[in-house]
Amino acid sequence: ELTQEHRRLAEIIEMIHTASLIHDDVLDESDTRRGKETVHQLYGTRVAVLAGDFMFAQSSWYMANLENTQVIKLISQVIKDFASGEIKQASSLFDCDVNLEEYLTKSYYKTASLIAASTKGAAIFSGVHSDIIEQMNQYGYNLGLSFQIVDDILDFTQTPLQLGKPSGSDLAKGNLTAPVIFALEGEPELRGIIKSEFCESGSLEKAVGIVVKCGGIERAKELAREKADRAFENLRCLPISSFRLVLEQMVSYNLERIE
Amino acid sequence: MMSVTCHNLEFGRIRLDFVGCGCSSNASPNRFPVRNCAEGMLRNVCRPRKLSCKKREVGRCRVFSTKTPETFLNGVTAGPPTVLDSKQEKKGPSSLSDMFEVVADDLLTLNKNLQSIVGSENPVLMSAAEQIFGAGGKRMRPALVFLVSRATAEIAGLKELTIEHRRLAEIIEMIHTASLIHDDVLDESDMRRGKETVHQLYGTRVAVLAGDFMFAQSSWYLANLENLEVIKLISQVIKDFASGEIKQASSLFDCDVHLDEYLIKSYYKTASLIAASTKGASIFSGVHSDISEQMYQYGKNLGLSFQVVDDILDFTQSAEQLGKPAASDLAKGNLTAPVIFALEKESKLRDIIESEFCEKGSLEEAIDIIEKCGAIERARDLAREIADRALKNLDCLPESSFRLGLEQTVNYNLERIK
Repeated sequence: ELTQEHRRLAEIIEMIHTASLIHDDVLDESDTRRGKETVHQLYGTRVAVLAGDFMFAQSSWYMANLENTQVIKLISQVIKDFASGEIKQASSLFDCDVNLEEYLTKSYYKTASLIAASTKGAAIFSGVHSDIIEQMNQYGYNLGLSFQIVDDILDFTQTPLQLGKPSGSDLAKGNLTAPVIFALEGEPELRGIIKSEFCESGSLEKAVGIVVKCGGIERAKELAREKADRAFENLRCLPISSFRLVLEQMVSYNLERIE
Repeated sequence: MMSVTCHNLEFGRIRLDFVGCGCSSNASPNRFPVRNCAEGMLRNVCRPRKLSCKKREVGRCRVFSTKTPETFLNGVTAGPPTVLDSKQEKKGPSSLSDMFEVVADDLLTLNKNLQSIVGSENPVLMSAAEQIFGAGGKRMRPALVFLVSRATAEIAGLKELTIEHRRLAEIIEMIHTASLIHDDVLDESDMRRGKETVHQLYGTRVAVLAGDFMFAQSSWYLANLENLEVIKLISQVIKDFASGEIKQASSLFDCDVHLDEYLIKSYYKTASLIAASTKGASIFSGVHSDISEQMYQYGKNLGLSFQVVDDILDFTQSAEQLGKPAASDLAKGNLTAPVIFALEKESKLRDIIESEFCEKGSLEEAIDIIEKCGAIERARDLAREIADRALKNLDCLPESSFRLGLEQTVNYNLERIK
């Protein structure tokens, strides 16, 4: 049966994730999320900051009371990574010299770090061998990166209705993701438009058009598949079970979103 | 009696609105908020280039000049009554820095470490950190950590402070600072310690991010201390901070508030961190848990005493001394000890408060009632009573210059309300 620690860990993870979303929306000045108004849009910045702080605080407290130093350090690293990821992103908006490595690091900080810590933490509480723990860590890491890349692709390929927010919004803010980074390798015109920070009317649409047409999306899809394949590999150490199956299906489900 | 001089007398400013900002060298003479330039700096830090302000946004730049203190009051939003805030620091012979002389070296090392921990990530964070870590902060909390560390180290036979002691002090100061940055966002305060708040200078985004970053860093360092007792202790504090803010926000203008609730809220917002600091310091000294418990109580009583004194000064100091309008707590509906005592006798006060000072002159009337009915005196008694408990908590420590420093801190606080 699952232990109390397992269940607590899941609650802590969800609290941290939610708290980071609330603050993220303040940082990005986003009005909508998942088709609904954001907390700070509805209740103001103050309540959003306070709600986020409260949830971070609660999760830190519950985590401390799990009394497992390894997991405490693991999750604290994640919270630190969140903040670092935000800063990295904020420092490199509209920076056309950003390379793929930097993008993957930032995606790790912002997304994969938490997922990897969750899967690793769960394995720690099961008390399995450290090799398996490391495979679970890698699974979470690869799954997380794969998810982020797919998200970044969908920001170009889906409609606002599907996304629950305007499309191309990352690009509009100067947050250059995988499709853009690939596109920039071949399209100097794109570089010029991005550096202008879309001050001209219609330039954002033009940029989106270039990214879509030049194969940037295709290359990003390949990258997502590559990470997903590694995630599958990481599951091999687990015995066949309905649970392992779901872990595999999550990887596949993610890829379906871009088929 | 020692006079309290206010740092803000040196930094008195007025705002001159609608002055063109020269922050972008290639922009037309438009007006851009300073914060947009900071946002630009956040972006452009790795590759030096001209700052490009977002062309879509136009705002006002604020240019400051140093003027006489009374002009300071115009248009400056009152901040929360910050406990242990440097605006109340004395410049006389018994100033805090004199008291902390015995741990001066420890504090110097602390400052260096803090700057590098926070600043290494990003220059704008460094600026934000300097804004807050820079001149003005008295490092009261780290000083207490060092004093208790050294006072208890003697008992345990420790010759020197451990790395855990030093880390703890840094963590405490980071948590305190992060909470101030977020507090100022929550209260929409423009000024703190005579300088602009981080969010006033750099915008809400940078302020939220800087606060989050510092909380995160302190959590990480805390986790790496690998001491479960201290980890749990400090996590409780961060939880208390958030709870305290919520409690306060939920009970504004509530005239049924009890003294107990006020003390709990003061504990959450102020005393909790100090108590955890002093207890944590003694845990790392490895002393008996009875002593750690006494150190906890000392920190708690000291913290509560400080908060009560701060709340008294909010009524008794002039706006000049405070660096913000007097009775700003009351104006916001935050009912503190003097008000709670006054409400026991003065039903008229209740009505005025419940009206939320909608009538002109009603705030002044309320202050008058409070001052005349003896409530301030009762609050003073409360502060002294709690301070006496704090002094008793020190009985378990051997006589030393460090124990003396801890006693002096209690007394310094009471001097502020003589």
